[in-house]
Amino acid sequence: MNSFIETFSTRRGELLQTLIEHIQISFISLLIAVIIGVPLGILLTKTDKFAEVVINIAAVMQTIPSLALLGLMIPLFGIGEFPAIIALVIYALLPVLRNTYTGIKEVDPSLVEAAEGIGMKPLRRLVKVEIPIAMPVMMAGIRTAMVLIIGTATLAALIGAGGLGDLILLGINRNNTDLIILGAIPAALLAILFDIGLRLIQNMSYRRAVITVVSMFVVILAIALAPLLTNRGGEITIAGKLGSEPAIITNMYKILIEEETDYTVKVEDGLGQTSFLFNALKSDEIDGYLEFTGTVLGELVKEPAESNKESEVYDQAVDALESGLDMTMLEPMKFNNTYTLAVKKDFAEENNLETIEDLKSVEDEIRPGFTMEFNDRQEDGYPAVSEAYGLNFSDVVTMEPQLRYQAIESGEINLVDAYATDAELRQFDMVILEDTKRVFPPYQGAPMFKQEFLEEHPEIIDPLNKLSGKITDEEMQDMNYRVTVEDELPNDVAREYLEENNLIE
Amino acid sequence: MIEFKNVTKRYGDKLAVDNVSFRINEGEIFVLIGPSGSGKTTTLKMINRLIPLSEGYIYFKEEPISNYEVYEMRRDMGYVLQQIALFPHMTISENIAQVPQMENWSDEDINKRIDELLEMVGLDPETYKDRKPSELSGGQQQRIGVLRALAADPPVILMDEPFSALDPITRENFQNDLLELQNKINKTIVFVTHDIAEAMKLADRLCLFNEGQVEQIGLPEEFIESPASSFVEQFIGKVNQDLNLTAGELVAELSVAETESEYPVVKEQADITEIFRLLSNNEAVLVETESGPKKLSRSQVFGYLADKRGVTS
Repeated sequence: MNSFIETFSTRRGELLQTLIEHIQISFISLLIAVIIGVPLGILLTKTDKFAEVVINIAAVMQTIPSLALLGLMIPLFGIGEFPAIIALVIYALLPVLRNTYTGIKEVDPSLVEAAEGIGMKPLRRLVKVEIPIAMPVMMAGIRTAMVLIIGTATLAALIGAGGLGDLILLGINRNNTDLIILGAIPAALLAILFDIGLRLIQNMSYRRAVITVVSMFVVILAIALAPLLTNRGGEITIAGKLGSEPAIITNMYKILIEEETDYTVKVEDGLGQTSFLFNALKSDEIDGYLEFTGTVLGELVKEPAESNKESEVYDQAVDALESGLDMTMLEPMKFNNTYTLAVKKDFAEENNLETIEDLKSVEDEIRPGFTMEFNDRQEDGYPAVSEAYGLNFSDVVTMEPQLRYQAIESGEINLVDAYATDAELRQFDMVILEDTKRVFPPYQGAPMFKQEFLEEHPEIIDPLNKLSGKITDEEMQDMNYRVTVEDELPNDVAREYLEENNLIE
Repeated sequence: MIEFKNVTKRYGDKLAVDNVSFRINEGEIFVLIGPSGSGKTTTLKMINRLIPLSEGYIYFKEEPISNYEVYEMRRDMGYVLQQIALFPHMTISENIAQVPQMENWSDEDINKRIDELLEMVGLDPETYKDRKPSELSGGQQQRIGVLRALAADPPVILMDEPFSALDPITRENFQNDLLELQNKINKTIVFVTHDIAEAMKLADRLCLFNEGQVEQIGLPEEFIESPASSFVEQFIGKVNQDLNLTAGELVAELSVAETESEYPVVKEQADITEIFRLLSNNEAVLVETESGPKKLSRSQVFGYLADKRGVTS
C-alpha cells in the first residue's frame, strides 16, 4: 500500500496527463461511433436486405483482435491518436449500430401504426415515437461501446496514442503492480464516470443533450488540437519499443542530436512491437528508431544469419536493409542484447562458472527455469545450446519470464535464460555465462533510418555515431536497473552516461 | 362524406377486398362487420391510406383520397386502434396533444382542448393530465385513445375494433358512452367490429363483409327483417340467441353447483340484461331454481358468451 501511494505521488503528473489523453481518445471515438452508428442503424431499419450485410460486416470487424486492428492502422494512418481513434471507432461501431437497429425495429408495430394513423410524418414519427421508445436499447448499445472503447484504448498506447495504457504497459513491462493498478483503476473509474454521463445525457431533453455533447466535443477537440497547431518544423521523431532500454537510448539520441545540431528531437518511446515501428518508419510517421541487428535479419528481412560474429551480422543487416528496403543502420553500440544464460553470482563463484561450457562440470546440480520461447527455439534456444555444448539437463521447468527471478531467488531453480542487458540481472545479483561457441546470434542496437532521410539530414550522422562501440552489457544492465527498479527518468540516466563518458560537454 | 367505388385490394393472388362500392354519409355511425379475414379492417385502413388500394377509387369529401397530401388527410380522420397504442413515453396530455401540435395550434389552445376533452369523458384533468398511460386502467387508456383521435376535431373518426381489448362490462359502458358522445359531437364514424351485438347497438347503418365482398348494407332492423342471404341470417342469428338467454337457461348450460352465499338473487326467468346489470357490481348472482339457489359467477357468464361468439368471429 505504501509503495502504491509512493508510486502515485511520483507519477501524479503523468497520471493526469495520460488520464486526459484517455478521456480525449475515448470521448472522440465514442462520439464518432455514435454519429456514424445511430443514423446508419436508423437507415438500415428501412432496408432489411442491406441491414443484414452491413451488420455482418460490423460484426466481422469486431472479431479482429484489438491489437491486430491497431497494427493494421499503422501502414494506413501511421501512429498516434488518429489511427487509434479510427481503430476504436471500428471496434465500437457494432454495438451502437446493432442496438439502434434492433431498438427501432422492436418498437411495437401498433405504435408505429398509431403514429402513422394520426398523421405523423416519417421524421416526426422517428423523433417523437421511435427514437424515444428505442432509447433504452440504443443507450445500452452505446454504453457497451463505451466500455469497449475505454478498455481497448489502453492498448492504443502501443501505437503511440498515449492514454492510461502508457502506465499499464509500463507496469507490465517492469513487473510493477503499483503502476498497473495506477493505470487500471482510473480506467475503471472512467468507465463508471462515462456511464453516469451517458445516463445524464439520456435523461436530458434533445436540445440540452445536443448542446452538452457539442460543447464537450469542442473543448476536447481544442485540447487535442492545440499541440498540433504549434510549429513542427525542424523536428525529428525517433522512436523505440516498449521498455527502459529503448527509452534510455532514444533519449541519448535526442540529447546528442540536439547538442550538436539545430534540430529538435521528439522521442516516441514505448511503441508496441517491432512491426509497429517498422511500418511507422516505412510510412514516414517516424524518422528513425532503435533496432537490433539480429532482429533485422530474423524479423524484418527474414534472412538467416550467415555468421554469428557481431560485425558480420551487422554488415549483413545493413546490406539487406540498403538493397531491399532503402533503409540503413548507423554504427552499433557495444552491448549485445541477445539471449544468454545466467546464474546467481555466489553460485558461479562456488562452482567456478564463467562460460556456458563450465556448466558441464555441474550438470547434475543444474535446475533450469526457461521461458517457453527459449525452451522451444531451435536455432538459438535451449535445443541449440544443448547440442553445441553437449549439455543435457534432467528437469527443465518452463515459466513466465518474470516468475523466473522469484524462483531463482527462492532457490527452486538456479539457471535462467535472460537478455544480456536485463535490469533483473543486476537486481538479483546474477552473472552472465559467456557464450564461447556463439550459439546466440548477436543483437546489437543501432539507430535505423531511411537512406533518403539521412541524405537529407547528414548532420545527425556524426552525433549518433558517437555511441558506436560504447555501452557494455553491464553498463546497460545498470542503467536499465536505475530506470526500472529505482524509477529514475530515462532522460536523466541518459544524460548522466553521456556526460560521464565525455560524449557531451 | 366517404365513397368507395369498385375498390379492390389484392395481396399477391389473394383478394382481400373484392370490388366493393358503398357510400358513408356525413354524421352517421357506419359499422363494418364480418368474420375475421373478411376484409373489414383492410377496408377501414384503405380510407386513411395505411393500406394502399389496388384498384378503384375512394372519395373523401368528393375528392379521390390520392389527391390529398396523405399526412394532412389523416389528421382529418381521427384513428382509434384495437391495441389502443397510446405512446407509452408520453403523458396523457402529450398523447392527446399530438395532432393539434402538428396542426400548429397554440399551447394555450391545446391545453384548453385537453382539459375540455378529459372532462367530456369524465376524467379529472388535474389528476390524469401528467400521468403516463401505464398508470391508467385499460378502459381509461382507450378513453384517451378516443380523445387522441378527437383532439383536433376531425370530421371523420375511424375506429378499428376499439373496444375488443376491453372486458365485457367496460365494453358495454363504452358503447353507451360512444352513443352519448356522438349526440354531442356528431362525427362521421366508421367503426369496425366482429361483434354483431355491438354492431346492432351502435350502427346507424351496417355493412356486412364476407370473404372480401359486401353481403348486405342497411339499417340494423333491415338485417333482421330481410336478410339478403343465408350467410346474413346465420351471422345475425347468434345475436338473438345470446340476448334471449334467461338466467334459468344459463344455469342449465353451465351446470353450476348449489351454493349458499351472499349474492343478489334473481328468478329463473330473469333475462340476460338484468344479469349483466347485477354482475357489473357483483362477482356473481344466485339464481333461484327448484333445486335451490345456484351461483352464476361473472367469469362463467362472460366466458360462456365469449365462447359462443367465438363461433361467429
